[in-house]
Amino acid sequence: MKRTIALAILGAAALVAIGRGAAVDRTALAKTQAALTTEYGQAKDSNFYFVLDVLGRKLELRVRGMVLKSWPLRAMRFWGNPGFAGTVELVRKTTLKAPERIVIKPGDTEEPEPAPAEAAKPAAKGAAAPASPAEFDLEALELKDMPKKFSLDFDNGLRITIKAGAGGSKGLAGTLKDAWHWYIDLPLRNLFGSREGKKISELELTFEQGQEAQAIYWHFFDGIKGIVL
Amino acid sequence: MIKRVLIAVAALAGLGFLAVVGAAYLIGFKQVSAWPPAESVRPVAEKDVSRAERNVQQLEKRMTALLPRGLYIVIDTAANRLYLKEGAKVVREAVISCGSGVVLEEPGGKKRSWVFDTPRGEFSVKSKITNPYWVKPDWAFIEEGEAIPKGLEDRIESGTLGDYALGFGQGYFIHGTLYTRLLGRNVTHGCVRVGDDDLKAVFKAVPIGAKIYIY
Repeated sequence: MKRTIALAILGAAALVAIGRGAAVDRTALAKTQAALTTEYGQAKDSNFYFVLDVLGRKLELRVRGMVLKSWPLRAMRFWGNPGFAGTVELVRKTTLKAPERIVIKPGDTEEPEPAPAEAAKPAAKGAAAPASPAEFDLEALELKDMPKKFSLDFDNGLRITIKAGAGGSKGLAGTLKDAWHWYIDLPLRNLFGSREGKKISELELTFEQGQEAQAIYWHFFDGIKGIVL
Repeated sequence: MIKRVLIAVAALAGLGFLAVVGAAYLIGFKQVSAWPPAESVRPVAEKDVSRAERNVQQLEKRMTALLPRGLYIVIDTAANRLYLKEGAKVVREAVISCGSGVVLEEPGGKKRSWVFDTPRGEFSVKSKITNPYWVKPDWAFIEEGEAIPKGLEDRIESGTLGDYALGFGQGYFIHGTLYTRLLGRNVTHGCVRVGDDDLKAVFKAVPIGAKIYIY
């Protein structure tokens, strides 16, 4: 009798476990299906797109389903309406000091400034050459000229602030400004609504290196589409 | 008396501000607790499981079909790196030079201007040239403050592009360089400069039609 009861209990437990397992699988299946459908919508075109995997804590640049570049997140934090996942389009990049292109107008100055190719000509024999190519100060827009802190505004109202963790000290004023923005300004704007009357969704992503933030600024052009998972 | 009233008003204002911030935090924390939305997707209904599985398989096949076949080139314009790849495997990595991003404006009120960017996007190898020569475009003369020649023969320059060139459309090439010490920097007029050994290896490896992804 005892053995029968024990077997019945075990059987019931197994049935419950199988049932739960099936439920978990069906959820995973739904997630996979949704993720693949969304990504295929982007990947079938030749345009680059990004995938922000919030749970996987990484930001990726992709084309045709291939990962071109992956930036792991060091930290992230969020204020506002959490319903921002899905397909988004970058509307605007904002930074305190946006990099500017160098404009060359030959003939406008008394001595025309050398073009990059000219600056790159091999040095004459005996001339002291800089030890490293990185020492050349070129007239060019390079990765090092990109900002390490900036905001990306998307068409669904989501604003993502990108910054680097190892960017050095911001000073007392910078720290106070950041603290005011994150701990006072954003909560109040979230309570009363933003200026445009939209609910705010502000995500702050921190990356390990300054170069990672700079590369994101470089690669994320206006109009780039992406998927927020 | 006035002093006491002012202190009381200030205290009330402070308390009011704290109350508002507290309310903002309560609402904010409630929202944040729902983020990230880990289980926002509804499970597939029991009866739809097989259909969903077929759909997933089909989507995976479609995604795989989008991937380039054989060898392909990936160029990172920010890091000035070229990767020769096959599937997920990097066959060769090379330090290169990409566009400087400089804008050249033609003097004399002619209103022509050029932006020296390496184009970004998906391309393919359209031509393979051994011992290429450079037909200097107008901007090359304008940049050097020289008069633009009328004859084609005055535009031809040999040796500048190295031993090989891979054309990928609209006058852009992956080619060699005389300025090898500037590999790794953004110095070009839009073309992609590669060192001799890497260029030879890439040139020999990729066929016409091979995909090029520049980002």
